[in-house]
Amino acid sequence: MLSNKPVNHFSLSAYQVELLPMTQAHQGLLRSWRNQDEIRRQMLSDEPISEEQQQAWFKKTQLDPKQLHWVIKFRDQFIGATNVKSLENGNTVEQTSLLEPGLYIGERRYQGNIIAFAPTLAMYDFCFDQLGTKRFRAVVKRSNQNALSYNQKLGYAIVDDEELMVLELDVESYRQATAPIKQFLSRTRNAK
Amino acid sequence: MDTQQKLQQAFSDALGIPPEKVIDGLTYNTIPEWDSTAHMVLIAELENVFDVMLDTDDIIDMSSVAQAKLILQKYDVSFA
Repeated sequence: MLSNKPVNHFSLSAYQVELLPMTQAHQGLLRSWRNQDEIRRQMLSDEPISEEQQQAWFKKTQLDPKQLHWVIKFRDQFIGATNVKSLENGNTVEQTSLLEPGLYIGERRYQGNIIAFAPTLAMYDFCFDQLGTKRFRAVVKRSNQNALSYNQKLGYAIVDDEELMVLELDVESYRQATAPIKQFLSRTRNAK
Repeated sequence: MDTQQKLQQAFSDALGIPPEKVIDGLTYNTIPEWDSTAHMVLIAELENVFDVMLDTDDIIDMSSVAQAKLILQKYDVSFA
């Protein structure tokens, strides 16, 4: 059931990035990223989307308590978007124990950069520590080796090895796998 | 061993590639050996070899061998 006001009121800041609740103002930028060939190819639904489709999607999404969407800000620039969706029928993001994550880095210079881990770490910390999430489940095309490798570095384990691969992550595996990268992304300034 | 050779050796050891493959144009994530995990090993190796501690901005920006030289110069490592 949809809410009567935007559901995402969580602004997050960690590991050098800010996650800001997605608003109407971000939709043009999001659509331009979403329609980039290399991003679209990795989506489960890979057709280009029109401005009308984008608006319709946002109108519904912002009121849906089963999902939360953020835009990612790094060094005063929006670089991508991230989200979580509840995978339990009838349970909101704040009620569910199982979430599906989504991420894309729209700015090319940061695609494949180590900073691409930062929004995920900020979001997962928030979900595990604040929302009480127990597990994440990611579905990735077998052809998307970058996403598979990325998820495995977060501690995900493959639970279903089909054309669409299913991976799951619990909090212990996440904490163990991400401790080094968190340390590198949390340093203070030392350079002269 | 001069600083250029030390840098080359550090990259070679951290990424597990031959020293002759360590050229200025070598870039993060363009070879399988230089992924995010190797990047962290590389940072630790560079810090050990050159006795510096890089800040997070520099870890993020160290996207090529050429960039590594520029960044290390900020920490008084000379490649003259």
